[in-house]
Amino acid sequence: MGGLIKLSNFAKLSGYAEMFGQGLAITVMLSIGTVVVGALLGIVLALMRMSDIRPLRFLGLDKEGHLRGPGVLTTLSKFNPLSFLATAYVEILRSTPVIVQIAVIYYGIFGVIDLPTFSLFGITKFHRFFPGVVALGMNSGAYLCEIIRSGIQSIDGGQSEAARSLGLNQNQTLRFIILPQAIRNILPAIANEFVVIIKESAVTYTIGVQDIMAVVQSVKGATYLIMEPLLVATALYFCLCFPTSKIIAHFERRMSRGNKR
Amino acid sequence: MATNDNILIQVSGLKKHYNKGAIKALDGVNIDIRRGEVVVVIGPSGSGKSTFLRSLNLMEEPTGGAIIFNGVDITKKKIRNEQGKVVKLNIDEHRQKMGMVFQHFNLFPHMTILDNMTLAPIQVKGMKKEDAEKLALSLLERVGLADRANAYPIQLSGGQKQRVAIVRALCMEPEVMLFDEPTSALDPEMVGEVLHVMQQLAEEGMTMVVVTHEMGFAREVASRVIFMDAGNILVDTDPKTFFGNPENPRLQDFLSKVL
Ligand SMILES: Nc1ncnc2c1ncn2[C@@H]1O[C@H](COP(=O)(O)OP(=O)(O)O)[C@@H](O)[C@H]1O
Ligand SMILES: [Mg+2]
Repeated sequence: MGGLIKLSNFAKLSGYAEMFGQGLAITVMLSIGTVVVGALLGIVLALMRMSDIRPLRFLGLDKEGHLRGPGVLTTLSKFNPLSFLATAYVEILRSTPVIVQIAVIYYGIFGVIDLPTFSLFGITKFHRFFPGVVALGMNSGAYLCEIIRSGIQSIDGGQSEAARSLGLNQNQTLRFIILPQAIRNILPAIANEFVVIIKESAVTYTIGVQDIMAVVQSVKGATYLIMEPLLVATALYFCLCFPTSKIIAHFERRMSRGNKR
Repeated sequence: MATNDNILIQVSGLKKHYNKGAIKALDGVNIDIRRGEVVVVIGPSGSGKSTFLRSLNLMEEPTGGAIIFNGVDITKKKIRNEQGKVVKLNIDEHRQKMGMVFQHFNLFPHMTILDNMTLAPIQVKGMKKEDAEKLALSLLERVGLADRANAYPIQLSGGQKQRVAIVRALCMEPEVMLFDEPTSALDPEMVGEVLHVMQQLAEEGMTMVVVTHEMGFAREVASRVIFMDAGNILVDTDPKTFFGNPENPRLQDFLSKVL
C-alpha cells in the first residue's frame, strides 16, 4: 500500500471508472434526498419551536384571570411540550458528531426494521441507500430548522400587522406575505447547507451506502492502492461542491442586487 | 348615552394593562367616533396613543372594556348572530372595514405596488382581478402615482410609499381609516404630500382617527382633537378650543412645549 503516488497506478483505476460513476451518482442522489428530508423535517421542527401551545397556561392566571407575577406557576404555565421536544432534538443533534448519529440511527432504527431490497435505478439497493438518507436527513433537519426559523423570524412584524389590518387571516398572511419573503431570505442558506450535506454524506459509507467513499474502500481492497482512489474521490467531491457554491454565490449576488434596486 | 345612528365606533372603559396592571397603557378610555368625523389624537410619547389606535382594530387585545363597531362588540370572542345563535367572532371581517396606515408604511417589498393594493380585495373580498386592478389604478391616479403601478416599494420615496399605503388601505373600501404617526418617518419635504392626501380624504367624508404631531393638520382638518396622557383621554374638544383656549393644565404644558 506504498504512500508513493505513481501515474501508472491511475491507469490501474481505469477499470473502476464505472464504479466511481455510480458512486458519484449515489452521492448526488443521497444529497438531494437528504436536503428534501431535512427541509421537511426542518419545517416541522421550526413550526414546533414557534408554536404557542401551552397546556398549563391556566396556571399562570389568578382567580380574576389576570397574569400572575414571576414564580413557579408562571414558569410552568409557559411550558410548551412541542417546542421543548423540538429544541431538545435540535440541540442534541447539533452537539454530537454526525458519524455517531448515523451509527445510532442505523443500528437503532434499521436494526429492527426490515427494508425491501429492490434495486434503485439499477445502481444500488434501496435498503443500502435509504438508511443513509434518513440518517443524514435527521441530522440536517436540525440545522435546517434553525435556518427556517430565523428566516421566518427575520421578517419584520409590521408585515404581518399590515396584512392582518387589511383583513387577511393568519393562513393567508403566512402564505402571501411571510413565507414568500422568508423563503427568499433562506434559499441561499439552504443551498449552502446542500454543499455541507454533499461533503458530510461521505461518512455514510460506514453504514453501507455505496457512495464515492464506499467505492474508494472497494478499490483499495481490490488493488491495495489507497492514495490514488482517494485523490479521485477528492477530485469528484471538489467538482460537486466548488461549482455548486459558485452558482449559489452568483444567485445570491443577483438577488441582493434585485433588493437594492 | 343617547343612541345615535351616526356612531361608528363606541369605545367604553377600554383598558390595556401590562404586567398585572403595573403598566396601564390604557386606563379606561371612553369615546364615541361618529361617521365622517376626523378625530386627531395628540399627547406625549408613551401616553397610549398607539395602543388606543391599535386597539380599535384589535391589533392589540384590550384587557378590559368594549369597542362597539357597527353595533358589534369586537372585543368579545363570541357573539350572538342575527338568528340569536352564539358564534365565534371573526375579527378579520371587521378589520377589513378599518384601514390602517403605519408610521413605517409596511408595504410588501416582494410585490409590485399594484399587487400590494389588489391582494386583499382579491383574497379577502373575492373581487375579480380586473375589477381590483381597475379600482387600484383609479386610486393611484388620485394620488398621482398611476405611473408607478408596476414598480416595487423599494423604488419609491418615503412620501410615495406612504401615499401607496393609504390607497392600499382604501382599496378595501373601509368605513374608517386609522393613522399612527403617518408622517413621523418622512423627510420634512415629503410630509406635505402625505398630509395633502389625508386632507382630501377627510374632505370626501372619510371617518378618520389620526395620531400625529402635526399641529397644523389638527388645527385645520380635525373635527375633534383629543389629548391623551398616561393612558387616559384628558381633553376631547373642537380644534378651536383645543388650541385657542386650553383649560387643562397638562395640555397647556404640552402645547407650550410643542408649539
Ligand atoms: N408590550 C408592552 N409591554 C409593556 N409595556 C408596553 C408594551 N407596549 C406598550 N407598552 C407601554 O404602554 C405605554 C403606551 O405606549 P404607546 O401606546 O406606544 O404610547 P404612544 O404611542 O403614545 O407613544 C408606554 O408606557 C409603553 O411603555
Ligand atoms: Mg406611538
